[in-house]
Amino acid sequence: MATLHVGHVPALSSYSSRQCVRHDRHPIRSTRRHLLALLALPFLASLPAADAAAKPEGQLTWGVHVSLAPLWFDPADTQGMITPFMVMYALHDAMVKPMPGNPAAPSLAESWSMSPDGLTYEFVVRKGATFHNGKPVTAEDVKFSFERYRGTSAKAIKERVAAVETPDPHKVVFKLKEPWPDFLTFYSSATGAGWIVPKAYVEEVGEEGYKKAPIGAGPYKFVSFTPGLELTFEAFEQYWRKVPNVKRLVFKVIPDESTRLAALKRGEIDIVYSIRGELAEELQRTKGLTLKPTVISAPFWIYFPDQWDPKSPWHDPRVRQAASLAIDRKTINEALTLGHSKLTGSMIPYGFEYYWQPPEPTFDPVKAKQLLAEAGHPKGFDAGDYYCDSSYANLGEAVLNNLQAVGIRARLRPLERAAFFKGYSEKSYKNIIQGASGAFGNAATRLEAFVVKGGSYVYGSYPDIDALFQQQASEVDIKKREAILQKMQQLVQERTIYAHIWQLAFINGAGPRVGEAGLGLISGHAYSAPYEDVTLAGK
Amino acid sequence: MTRYILRRLAYSAVSLFLLSLTIFLFVRITGDPTTLLVEPGASQADIDAVRQRLGLDRSIWVQYASFMASLAQGDFGQSFYYRTPVFELYLSRLPNSLLLALAAMVFSLLIGIPSGILAAVRVGRFWDRAGKVFALLGLSLPSFWVGLVLILFFSVYLQWLPSSGSGTALHLIMPAFALGWYFAAAHMRLTRSSMLEVLGSEYIKLARLKGLPESLVITKHAFKNALIPVLTLAGINLVIMVNVAVVVETVFAWPGIGRLLYEGITFRDFPVVQAVVLLGGVMIVAVNLLIDILYAVIDPRIRLER
Repeated sequence: MATLHVGHVPALSSYSSRQCVRHDRHPIRSTRRHLLALLALPFLASLPAADAAAKPEGQLTWGVHVSLAPLWFDPADTQGMITPFMVMYALHDAMVKPMPGNPAAPSLAESWSMSPDGLTYEFVVRKGATFHNGKPVTAEDVKFSFERYRGTSAKAIKERVAAVETPDPHKVVFKLKEPWPDFLTFYSSATGAGWIVPKAYVEEVGEEGYKKAPIGAGPYKFVSFTPGLELTFEAFEQYWRKVPNVKRLVFKVIPDESTRLAALKRGEIDIVYSIRGELAEELQRTKGLTLKPTVISAPFWIYFPDQWDPKSPWHDPRVRQAASLAIDRKTINEALTLGHSKLTGSMIPYGFEYYWQPPEPTFDPVKAKQLLAEAGHPKGFDAGDYYCDSSYANLGEAVLNNLQAVGIRARLRPLERAAFFKGYSEKSYKNIIQGASGAFGNAATRLEAFVVKGGSYVYGSYPDIDALFQQQASEVDIKKREAILQKMQQLVQERTIYAHIWQLAFINGAGPRVGEAGLGLISGHAYSAPYEDVTLAGK
Repeated sequence: MTRYILRRLAYSAVSLFLLSLTIFLFVRITGDPTTLLVEPGASQADIDAVRQRLGLDRSIWVQYASFMASLAQGDFGQSFYYRTPVFELYLSRLPNSLLLALAAMVFSLLIGIPSGILAAVRVGRFWDRAGKVFALLGLSLPSFWVGLVLILFFSVYLQWLPSSGSGTALHLIMPAFALGWYFAAAHMRLTRSSMLEVLGSEYIKLARLKGLPESLVITKHAFKNALIPVLTLAGINLVIMVNVAVVVETVFAWPGIGRLLYEGITFRDFPVVQAVVLLGGVMIVAVNLLIDILYAVIDPRIRLER
């Protein structure tokens, strides 16, 4: 009756709860109740068993914008990007993972607890959960998957774990070397270390064999894969959470955006990813098709790398504020993402742990000009180059026009993505950088990469903010840590270290055969998930 | 003759060596693939770990030596992105590219040769001018645009053909036409000029003087001789079609080598790009070698020259 349990799982507001979470229903103790239940059985048996008898039916086909890679079949290789989770949510399951309404939902872990000293995490492995080969998920598989993990942040997470113990087949204990408040963030969503593979099967078929015929504990079984072209899954009816609704899922790679839309219009595919600009408008206009935007965990901003140079105009916070006030975010949003992106004043994605809600960014060109005049630039100034990833040069052009309108004159320098991020991380740019990040983590991991001294994309820092970061890193008290991290975000906003633009909406579409596309169910997730919730129309 | 063949083989080997060096260096100039394999904002430690796993932390010459040593054993390496042997990937896509190239070639010859003949026979008149316009369009219209217009018209509006993918003969029609048109234009131009040259020759005049019907003069006497250079070009073009249909294969999501190359370039998948370019080079060098040898067999002056 595991499927029933899910409906009764209380949503965890935060993974960091110290309380042990129990999801078992209260056992029925009364003998009289037992008798009543027994008497009711024949009657219940005569009722149509809706969910229990429901069999997966039909097929849904996705038109995918990126080439599917076998690397994504194996959680051990999860790299710091969101795309592999498109496949992992079908094929695999994690101990704890983001689910609708819950960024750290119990999955293969029925419950967990943290010791008061923050050094021990104990997980209870879900009874009844099985892999696609019918073997039960055990504590040994959990330990094996963690130890085998070699993807993003593998070193960071393993360095902090002293031991993984399996006192019984349904209990796993992680012992940390020292308290690490971000352990569960890394274990549940920032890495693939908590996604479980069957130990015996991996050892039997080997690493390469596993990528060719992967077995997981997710709602869908692997059927076939043609590298870069097509991937097919079939429903795993024994999935613990629920029986998936759709029998077959097919993912077709269609690299060209116009072709993807044409395929959706013809009904060759049912769900399409990444349709932008005018094509998205066309999708919206087309009868029978539905626009399905999802706001992903990828805020965009402009960064002023010269703000620490006293000779630079950007050194003056009023100039940076003027730049922020000059950006007409609402109009840009409507023009480029049909108004679906989320305007934000923060570089931390909405919904991330320790997120601080900043004031709504405002558009006020008059005040921008006034601030520029006060800063000694009544006629504006030549701001040099505006660097951006060429994939988002359209956003850069729009922002640049806004800056130009208040007198901040800059030249657009779109660079191919790899070259752009290389230059960004090597600190070789000046003037203005249009940046973004879709990396997993929480507020602390984002601030570390983009604000704090020594961060991969930090051109300069503020000592008080650096000190706060050090302070939170050793703070075990969740509330105190949250307060410090929120204070840091507040300082970033007050000093206009960044001028924030938006949290990008990923524009997808669905055809008439789709009931629930699964898009946007999980906060910040770009793709359909959880797949067991996806339905055909009318089902 | 043996010396001649050996010399040509040596030239081919040098060409392929230079190609390997060039492509190896050129792909590395384009940037660091690790930045595309991790999310922007990933930590330096993660980027370094990926770089180390891909062997990109070694010096470029060590990487090249390792690449050549593997190549000598027929190993093109593992794809960074797909994590599978590149040669396996290549072989899985090759049949699709051959099929598309053959279909495109049939299109291009069916269009190019008759229109070339018509243009030569009606030189300076309507059909000649129409042929020129057709050739101009074929050579100048970008194939991605042609592809998208075809999809819009035949898939979206008329609903006759599938928009993309592979599997049936219907899937092949639009990509074959989009690829074939460009080459049809070249074949048409060559057929026209070749026919004009042959039609001006003495034996054609003699055939006409003998009172043979014009249709017989053109089809039996002129066309047969004019066809030789066209077929030679078609042979070389077929090899080119297999290897350069990058745009057409991408627009139509056709699972061929061109799309593999596109994916390789997109993801900075060095082993994939190197293998596709090198194997394409091998095909072109082999065809040229074969033509050189055939010429030498036919013409003794060639094999005797120093």
